[in-house]
Amino acid sequence: MSDRLSPAADLILKVYLALFFVYMFLPLIVMVIAAFNAFQYPALSPWKGFTLEWFPRLVEDERLMGGLATSILLGICVTAASVPLGLAGALIVARGTRRTSGLFYAMLVSPILMPGVVLGISTLVFWREVGISGGLFTAGAAQTSFIASYCMLMILARLARQDPVLEEAALDLGASPWFVFRRVTLPFLAPALGSAAVIAFLQSFENYNTTVFAIGSGYTLVTEIGARLRFGLTPAINALGVIFLLVTAVAAIGFAIANRRKPAA
Amino acid sequence: MSGPSDLVRIYGRAFAAACWLLVFGWFTLLVLVPQVTMVDQSLWRMEQPKDAAQLTLDIDRLYNDLSVMKLDRADAPADKQAALDARIAETQAAIREMETRETQPRKVYGPENYTRMSGLHAEIFLRTLAFAALTTLIALVVCYPIACAAAFAGKATTTAVILTALTIPYAINELLRTYAFLMVLDYRGVINTALSWIGIIDLDRDQAIPFLESQAAVFAGLVYAYVLFMVFPIYNALESLDKSQIEAARDLGASSLRTHWRVIIPHAKPGLAVGSIMVFMLSAGSYAVPRILSRGLGGDWFTQLIYRQFFDAHNWNIGSAYSVALLIACLVFVALVMKITRVGLKDMVR
Repeated sequence: MSDRLSPAADLILKVYLALFFVYMFLPLIVMVIAAFNAFQYPALSPWKGFTLEWFPRLVEDERLMGGLATSILLGICVTAASVPLGLAGALIVARGTRRTSGLFYAMLVSPILMPGVVLGISTLVFWREVGISGGLFTAGAAQTSFIASYCMLMILARLARQDPVLEEAALDLGASPWFVFRRVTLPFLAPALGSAAVIAFLQSFENYNTTVFAIGSGYTLVTEIGARLRFGLTPAINALGVIFLLVTAVAAIGFAIANRRKPAA
Repeated sequence: MSGPSDLVRIYGRAFAAACWLLVFGWFTLLVLVPQVTMVDQSLWRMEQPKDAAQLTLDIDRLYNDLSVMKLDRADAPADKQAALDARIAETQAAIREMETRETQPRKVYGPENYTRMSGLHAEIFLRTLAFAALTTLIALVVCYPIACAAAFAGKATTTAVILTALTIPYAINELLRTYAFLMVLDYRGVINTALSWIGIIDLDRDQAIPFLESQAAVFAGLVYAYVLFMVFPIYNALESLDKSQIEAARDLGASSLRTHWRVIIPHAKPGLAVGSIMVFMLSAGSYAVPRILSRGLGGDWFTQLIYRQFFDAHNWNIGSAYSVALLIACLVFVALVMKITRVGLKDMVR
């Protein structure tokens, strides 16, 4: 593994790494195999034969499909709100005076340092005072409060690499401020804005802890899964797990390949 | 530094104003005011008036008077009836007023929502924090070698393969990751199935070992669900370490342990801090893992208590107080980690 380690230490590290991978993947593999067992309870044993029957069950399930539609809608709204907020925050932090910059940075990353349930609860409590009870709106507001922080961090990381001379040059050559933003800053930030949007959507789609408290009687795909994971387990959940796992694996591998092609920036 | 910020100078006043407005709305409406409302809600409660018992007696007495007056009125001559009617109306009004006072609870501020936390609830709170701290410690010990293995793998491909492979269990939804772990501990889970194959237990005669009914199941699940949140921050910090520093330490005769202690760990500190904060906060604030992995007897997790205060007991004041307690515990943890590692907010998220 490493040329600096003695053979014995190297072997120990390799074995340790292998054990860690077994630990991380064994439960996932069991979940996948149980998705194809014809037994009506999710388990490997007794093995009642290979079946695909649990997958069509998902499509027939109206609440799961309804939750999926809600999750996508919520994800789009949260992304549409979080990326501009993150951009505004990043510009204020990166282009502010030294004093405002530090203060705003601390204020705007603070939601990341709070437990998700607390964000959900505070949103629920506040909007009820205003007369809006828990639902899609409060779930979106609670999610946006911290997802915008992640967007800000991603945009800030990109801004830190920007050559300030470019904007100055454009200004000196007589470009209007809006022109500078649209033709110099925005194109430079485009990749970060793109990845911020993807991450924002995924965070919203996957979120459970914040959403389950803020959404009231509404439900998303993930909160609906959460509602079913306690009693009345069925292998249909495993089938859903297989789909999530496939999407995650394809995304992770695709991301890794795309990263390798890109020259190190 | 004073004068207009670069924001105004480069993009103009209108654009800067738009940015300020967006950020102001975000911070006040989505973060600050909700938090303040929650803290406010945690500090008051609706209370029956203290003199409620006395009021009840007074009201009973008035009802007696009223029935006497009604009897009097029935027997009274016509000229006195008007006066009695007035008195009856007066009494009825008094009863109505006292009854609203008797049944209408008043809003009272005070710390009781916190101080009246029952012994059981306080125990659950402390246990949650202790388990979360232990989870963090285990994650630190388990993940440091993994992050080193990834960072110092030598070949870029090996690093990429390790990281990509770890991304899969890291990125899959928290609920489904925990559910996968349930497959191991369940009544018909991997461990029980293996034991029945060996012949130690018989699943068909309900001899399964009830792992899910012990608190250890939730603890093991927390470690499994959040351990990877430690690997990636440590790896990110180590990535920027100049490998020649390690060579230099070794050439100068430092032992492997000493190299870790004096060169690698100091460099990894921001990653260790971020990882610890993430793992602690995710564990202490986890609602998914205890929900999926505990079957009643194992006792509650603090987040479950909060959930029940809001949605079963409908006592939002106590729910808010518990939520504020959790928030404070987490902020204290963040402050502690920042103090111990001497890592600032800006170093953490690079």
